[in-house]
Amino acid sequence: MSGFAHFASFGVTPDLVRAALHEALCHGGESADVFVQSRVNTTLALEDGEVNRAYASVDAGLGVRVVRGDQQGYGYTEDFSEQAVRRAAQTAAAIAEGPARPGPVALTSGPLPDRYRTLRPWEDVAALDRLPVLRQLNAAVLAADPRIVKCSVTFRDESSTVLIVDGQGRVAFDRQPMTVVGVTCVAEHSGRRESNSANVAGRAGFEFYTPDRLERVARQAVERTLILFDAAQPPAGEMPVVLGAGSSGILLHEAIGHGLEADFNRKNISIYSDKMGKAIAQPLVTIVDDATLAGARGSINVDDEGNAAGRTVLVDRGVLVGYLHDGISARHYGVQPTGNGRRESFRHLPMPRMRATYMEAGPHDPAEIIASVARGIYCETFANGQVQIGAGDFTFFVKNGWLIEGGKLTRPIKDVNLIGNGPRVLEQVDMVGTDLAIDEGGWTCGKDGQSVPVSQGMPTVRVRGMTVGGRAA
Amino acid sequence: MSSHGPDAALRDLGEAAIATARALGAQQVAVSAALERETDVQWRDGGIEKLLQATSRSLSLDLYVDGRYASVATSDLRPTAVQRFVADAVALTRTLAPDPCRRLPEPELWPQGPAVDLGLEDPTCDARTARQRRDDAEALEAAARAVPGAARILAVTATVSDSAHASWRLHSDGFAGHRRSTAFWLACEVSVQDPDGRRPEESHAVAHRLQERLPAAAAVGALAAGRALARIGSRKGTSEVLTVVVDPRAAGRCVGILLGALSAAALQQKRSFLDGRTGQVVGSPLLHVADDPLVVHGLGSRHFDGEGLAARRLPLFEAGVLRSWYVDTYYGRKLDLAPTTGRASNLAWRLGTDDCTALTRNVAEGVLVTSFLGGNANATTGDFSLGIQGFRIRAGALAEPVAEMNVAGNQLELWPRLAAVGSDPYPYSALRTPTLVFDAVAVAGV
Repeated sequence: MSGFAHFASFGVTPDLVRAALHEALCHGGESADVFVQSRVNTTLALEDGEVNRAYASVDAGLGVRVVRGDQQGYGYTEDFSEQAVRRAAQTAAAIAEGPARPGPVALTSGPLPDRYRTLRPWEDVAALDRLPVLRQLNAAVLAADPRIVKCSVTFRDESSTVLIVDGQGRVAFDRQPMTVVGVTCVAEHSGRRESNSANVAGRAGFEFYTPDRLERVARQAVERTLILFDAAQPPAGEMPVVLGAGSSGILLHEAIGHGLEADFNRKNISIYSDKMGKAIAQPLVTIVDDATLAGARGSINVDDEGNAAGRTVLVDRGVLVGYLHDGISARHYGVQPTGNGRRESFRHLPMPRMRATYMEAGPHDPAEIIASVARGIYCETFANGQVQIGAGDFTFFVKNGWLIEGGKLTRPIKDVNLIGNGPRVLEQVDMVGTDLAIDEGGWTCGKDGQSVPVSQGMPTVRVRGMTVGGRAA
Repeated sequence: MSSHGPDAALRDLGEAAIATARALGAQQVAVSAALERETDVQWRDGGIEKLLQATSRSLSLDLYVDGRYASVATSDLRPTAVQRFVADAVALTRTLAPDPCRRLPEPELWPQGPAVDLGLEDPTCDARTARQRRDDAEALEAAARAVPGAARILAVTATVSDSAHASWRLHSDGFAGHRRSTAFWLACEVSVQDPDGRRPEESHAVAHRLQERLPAAAAVGALAAGRALARIGSRKGTSEVLTVVVDPRAAGRCVGILLGALSAAALQQKRSFLDGRTGQVVGSPLLHVADDPLVVHGLGSRHFDGEGLAARRLPLFEAGVLRSWYVDTYYGRKLDLAPTTGRASNLAWRLGTDDCTALTRNVAEGVLVTSFLGGNANATTGDFSLGIQGFRIRAGALAEPVAEMNVAGNQLELWPRLAAVGSDPYPYSALRTPTLVFDAVAVAGV
């Protein structure tokens, strides 16, 4: 589809964008781009049995970026008047000092992939149509077990459209839908309380919420809560860790994904800065970052610099082969951009970010992996993680899991932080299951104050040793 | 934003939005109209890396329509767009279930009498120049690179930022609250080469409402570099039960997990491990802290909160006894509790007499925690598990740097073990935490 028809939907004209780029390049900038975004968000929430609150926002604006080497100037505005747009461009241009370059004469636009086709786009879905989803989830959770005493549900959807025009006149336009439904419940039993939650997310329209998917999220919230009555924080110390298929991809996100974002490497501050081309894991480990998974939360048709976004292999059979690039780092390394230049909104500069990060399936039977561990833990669901890029230390927080004793899952565990060092832990991945699963959870990645939606996936995997932050044995 | 012009325009914008919403059927409306000017300069290894400057306007509304409630915001402030947006929002609100606990706060909760000067605005903010910001950034880096051992520095990133905020909060029943504030930040992050191949990073950041009250850039850069170099050679310690000293910067995380359970929303939703413990001892007698929104120059200071409730000091814990909760008007009505405020401001601690260095000297075997890494806390049960790094303490002296370790337990067991509180509140966070010392905490490592 041609991008030009879409200028009007933002209230901007091709002439205004050309004028902004001209202004941006008049002080010696080497390149420039304009990022226009309009985002409409609706959130409905159910608490104490009623859908009795809604949150909605409209956020639209335009950002102008000027690049000179690895320097970037940025200005943005929510006001699409020519005066405001020119002022944003002048702000961005202040990064450079030098002769003017010409802005684009002609604007050109190529086709984009269609990775999140929506049957029922959110702008066509009435609030009244959404209400039964929340009510059904609430009813399913409360009916599941008499110990459940509270249930809350949130239903969030978003229609974002972005228009990116660079200094060569290249135009990209994308509609980026997003939705997340989350269920939290609290249960009481023998004077104790436990709570937990589950969510499901995707770049999709209303058709995403099939009965199966809704049934699953309600069931997961209940099961993950009730099992906590039998669970304990595990012992502390180093032990083998088996990661269940799916959301365990959080390990890759923290242990290696951030460290391979090329901005950290071109600055020489990542623990992976000198490891390109080297074996960093056993040959059964292949790790990719992928923009192409149909409907995945982390998928994109184009990145926020207008670059094509595909499937990027990071580790190929144990060897580090690729970084995650934005335009600046790709120029620095003399490679093609990988389509990882992403930003939270028009208020932010793009930088290398993950999309859907996962490990390819391996040769091992998942049951065999669990059976191989004499004493360790099995991790099932996760809350959050963090990493230090340079030192390489990373953590992820396990909400639910099991103690493994004698090759069997014996007792449930809960609420434990795992901590390790990225390269050392990757070296210790020595069994990889056949059961790769991409998690459908509503994962959000934070970096430098910017949040972007991501996905992650994993087959069942064994790590020979990691520090389990439990209580002293 | 030095003249009154923009603020008058903001008030007009808010008043117009209230009139629009009322005309469209909202019985009650609260509006916040805000203008924010921010400048961020990021400097790395001898030059400006990123320069961002923008002025941003926003409009948000709490709508009360036929006993129903929605909260909405837009950045598109053209009058026709606001009209359409509010019409859609009122229609959205009408689809919801009625909620008898939703209404504007009662006028007796508004601020009474003239406002004291909290010193939140620096009138010189607009006069700050690109040259001054650049000089500060350069000084941050130069100081970092001048410390002993600087040959091991791989990269220095300095950030200089300032922002100015103006807003009106207006309620359809007459409340009108005006706020102007500024904030200035200096930050420096330093990466160093560890001979074992790791590249540990550390940082220091400072903030103040007034530019002239910020610490000198040179001191900030030097401290950041010193912290980073001290990470070289870190290793994982053994798993054991130790005295844990948490420095003032890191201690904010300990307190954050406690405050997470202190909201009326958590209480009403049965997701607080402190439920039923009001008036009871939940910590050692040294746990003595209040929420204080009226600290002069405070980063969390305010005359009224996000609902328009008058700011007042709120005792949270007194000698280990839980005294009050963060109660907004909505959950207050649901729980039949008097509202306090729904949102934390600054914390005011009863301080001890010794700083972190002196407190460390009293510890025979322990760990000084200088930062937390990841981890989480369960507000329903009080369980927590947090990654840590810092230094091993042996015989009252700092020994080797430790990393890749973790502390875990339950807050109902942690806070009674609070054995000392420092004299040294961290001034660069609204939490203003002093050094906290806990006895007998499970530390996980090898």
